[in-house]
Amino acid sequence: MIYYFASIVVLILFAPILLSYMKATKMVLLFKRPISLMQGYRDFSKLMQKETIISEESSAISRWAPFLVLSPLIVIMFFLPPVVKGAYYVSFVDAFTITGLISLSTFFLMLLGLDSASAFGGMGSSRESFIAALVEPAMVLTIFSVSLMAGDLGVGQAGVNLAEHFPKEHMASFLFAGISFFILLIAENGRIPVDNPETHLELTMVHEAMILDLTGVYLAIIESAASIKFVIFASLFASLFLPFGYELAAPLAIAVFILKLFLIATAVAFLEVNTAKLRLFKVPNLLGLAIVFAFLSLITFYVLGA
Amino acid sequence: MMLSLLLLPAFIMFGVSFIKKTKAKYLLAFTSFLILLPIVKLFLLPKPYNILGSYLIADKLDTYVLLVSSIVGIGVTLALLTLDKHVKVSPNAYRRFYRFFAIFWVGLIFSMLSNHMGIYWIGLELATLSTVYMIKTNYTPAAHKEAWNYMIVGAIAISLVLFGIILMYASAKPILGEDAMNFDLLLAHAKDIPSPFLFEMGFAITTLGMFIKMGFFPMNLWLANIERASFYPVAALFSGILESAVVIGFFRFSKIAMEVNYNHLFIFVFVYTILTIFIVAFLIYRAKDFMRLFSLSGVEHMALIVMFWVSGAPFAALLHFGAHAFLKPALFLSTGVLESNGKYKIAGALRGYKGFKGGVFWFLVSLFLLAIISLPPSPMFFSELYGFGAMITTAKESDHMLAMIAAVLFLLVLLSIIFYRFVAIYQSMKYEGEESEKEVYSSELFALVIFAISLVGLLLPQTLDYLRSIS
Amino acid sequence: MIDFFIGLFLASLIVALFTTRLYRLLLWYSLNSLMLGVLALSIGRSIDDNAMVITGIVTIVIKAIGIPYVLKNLSQKFHFVRQITPEIKVQYAIMLVPAILVFTFYLSEPIVHMIHTNANYVAISISSLFLSLLLMMEHKNVAPKIIGFLAMENSLFLLGVTATDGMPMLVELGIFFDLLMAIVVINLLFHKEELRV
Repeated sequence: MIYYFASIVVLILFAPILLSYMKATKMVLLFKRPISLMQGYRDFSKLMQKETIISEESSAISRWAPFLVLSPLIVIMFFLPPVVKGAYYVSFVDAFTITGLISLSTFFLMLLGLDSASAFGGMGSSRESFIAALVEPAMVLTIFSVSLMAGDLGVGQAGVNLAEHFPKEHMASFLFAGISFFILLIAENGRIPVDNPETHLELTMVHEAMILDLTGVYLAIIESAASIKFVIFASLFASLFLPFGYELAAPLAIAVFILKLFLIATAVAFLEVNTAKLRLFKVPNLLGLAIVFAFLSLITFYVLGA
Repeated sequence: MMLSLLLLPAFIMFGVSFIKKTKAKYLLAFTSFLILLPIVKLFLLPKPYNILGSYLIADKLDTYVLLVSSIVGIGVTLALLTLDKHVKVSPNAYRRFYRFFAIFWVGLIFSMLSNHMGIYWIGLELATLSTVYMIKTNYTPAAHKEAWNYMIVGAIAISLVLFGIILMYASAKPILGEDAMNFDLLLAHAKDIPSPFLFEMGFAITTLGMFIKMGFFPMNLWLANIERASFYPVAALFSGILESAVVIGFFRFSKIAMEVNYNHLFIFVFVYTILTIFIVAFLIYRAKDFMRLFSLSGVEHMALIVMFWVSGAPFAALLHFGAHAFLKPALFLSTGVLESNGKYKIAGALRGYKGFKGGVFWFLVSLFLLAIISLPPSPMFFSELYGFGAMITTAKESDHMLAMIAAVLFLLVLLSIIFYRFVAIYQSMKYEGEESEKEVYSSELFALVIFAISLVGLLLPQTLDYLRSIS
Repeated sequence: MIDFFIGLFLASLIVALFTTRLYRLLLWYSLNSLMLGVLALSIGRSIDDNAMVITGIVTIVIKAIGIPYVLKNLSQKFHFVRQITPEIKVQYAIMLVPAILVFTFYLSEPIVHMIHTNANYVAISISSLFLSLLLMMEHKNVAPKIIGFLAMENSLFLLGVTATDGMPMLVELGIFFDLLMAIVVINLLFHKEELRV
């Protein structure tokens, strides 16, 4: 039980470091002087002290939507597969619940964007719904197929099963599901091929457009929601697709897990530096690829048994 | 020893094509006569005769097909002597054509005589790839585009054939080991194949590839477009020789498939060919120039050959095949003269021939035109009689007599559409239009005479007995 | 391990279906051939078949390095169009590609009951064949059609290597020879000459 709560708290507190690490890696690769890893915390405290201003045309939604964006993500943190052997974990939550909670959070973010009554907010919300419509089926199929391969529909139990016994005979479908999930990780978290997290230009923003109007406490909450979302996706990828290091002793297992998260963040940062942002109308090509791979992994497992 | 004798004329042709004198083209035509000699010798040897271990075996079927193809080859090279009098062709392109013709012959000899599925495929691919360039000897943009089309579609068809061959090999490998590639061993052990579904799927994919090459159902028009865009000897080559190579492969594969599961084979091929003839009949009705007309008619005859072979009348199929392989190239070669006034002038194409040569030409072409729509005494008439009779006999043993009678009636209706169109074209060629002077040259006339003689030779009782003994 | 490489083979083919740039398509094709060569090497090493090891090495050298290089040179010499958009829109492709996959997998299902080893490799080869046919059909320019044809040869080779534990050496040599001759003919076809009479 202790490991369960401790890991949740540690991951929530650890989230800003991951995002700052990605930004620092990109800056090192571009030969700039990198920001420090604590920058996320400094931004958070700065925002908490700022005055919160809300526009006159917005309604009550702008006051309570940011909290509703954060809370489903924190609920998901309770359902992730365990890091250490012997820790408590919730075993019955399946792919639909996790995807549903993530899309609940996205829904409130879209409402927030629409509510600010600015043109940017509406544009951002429509783009976000365009991307989310393609991401959701792929995510359900991918996590479903991995859970089938691991033998249990609950994601927590699936993570434990995969760590204890990795099914070598289903390598092909595993590979397809892994490729699909990586594409989804990039799309849902607004990284470069799909959305640029560092820009405020109208042509290129999706996530930033929806929160353009926020300041102060609300912006701090939304930014921490974004970092927690990345931690959720990264830890799902690490426990489901890189299932080694579960059997080790507790401190070592935690260290290996954190190393895996950093590895994933480095991979995303490399991809961001080497790729240009896709045109919005080319994004369905990429996400269609994710859907096809998710479907392929399910059907390869089911029909061929490979 | 025999193999080198067979391949020697092709190599001589390849070498002679590099000589730049204009008189060399008579030498080139002579080398195609040389091809005939080893084949006649092969005819007289006892069958089956092993040419190269168990890879190349000459039995009755392949010597017959090879003989037919070599006669067609002779005719084509004779007609090529006067190619530049009818169309614009540069001497360079002419020589390059012969180089690829030599490579084509090598591939053809390997594929027709082979007993090994892999060698059959290699020969077929060599033949296909060398014909791609032959289309391009006509330097128009349409020929360039059609050469590309042919390359792509031909490559797809050949790869499908190889895919099916690998599947068939995989299905027979457990019992035969590495020898599962040989046709005769497969035929002997056809009933022992452990997974007939795998074999049938391989056969279906191979047949699909071969049917695409012959111009059946989904791709009816690609052959017509290719033959329109190239010169008439190339078109004669396609319909006479290349299709023989494909059809002999179909004959061998389907013999094995008949042992594995006759019902599936019959339904598959039957429905496919009826569909093809249905579409081609209406396409022929609308054809407005000679080349398209003849190539579509070639598709229809190929469909009939396939249908006859599968319905248990191999004699009819082989007779029809021989007659078609003589008639169709003859008609194609004569379009060189018939189109002297322009492509779309069908009316009056058979008028205006003066002198002895013109008279013989006119007479032979009308005979050929009437023979190809199966008027007696053309061999096609007899083969269709036998073929349809065999189809009814096969149906008598199963429970589908009514369906077969309906299918035969439907086929006869479609064939009558083609008959009507050909007769209409013949009448317009002979009785309408203006009389304009057309030149006939002796080499092409000689080619037509050779074809006529071999057609009559098909009707001799010895030939008919030989064909009967093949099946 | 064989499953992993076959998975990467199919994955690179599917990604090649959705791409819109010519050089990226060449990269996916060379990845495809690389996976095929590595697969042939590992199977050859495990069943101790020297012929397959040699063909694996030849595949990697010719198909993964040589042919993309030659095609890139050709495209630069003859100024190919480098933006290749598919004729079927991506929303239909998302539905068409899984439909083809389902169709071909179910086509090969009866084989699973008859061959107990390697039945799914036949299924994946057949789906690669159909997908490369789709690649050929969905582009109008000539360069993706050539690459589709080459991908079809790759899937044939995959079938030969996995389903039958190697074909006779003669056939594999013949396939390579024909591939090279096809490239020569393609090269010849690109030289558009004027009418010289």
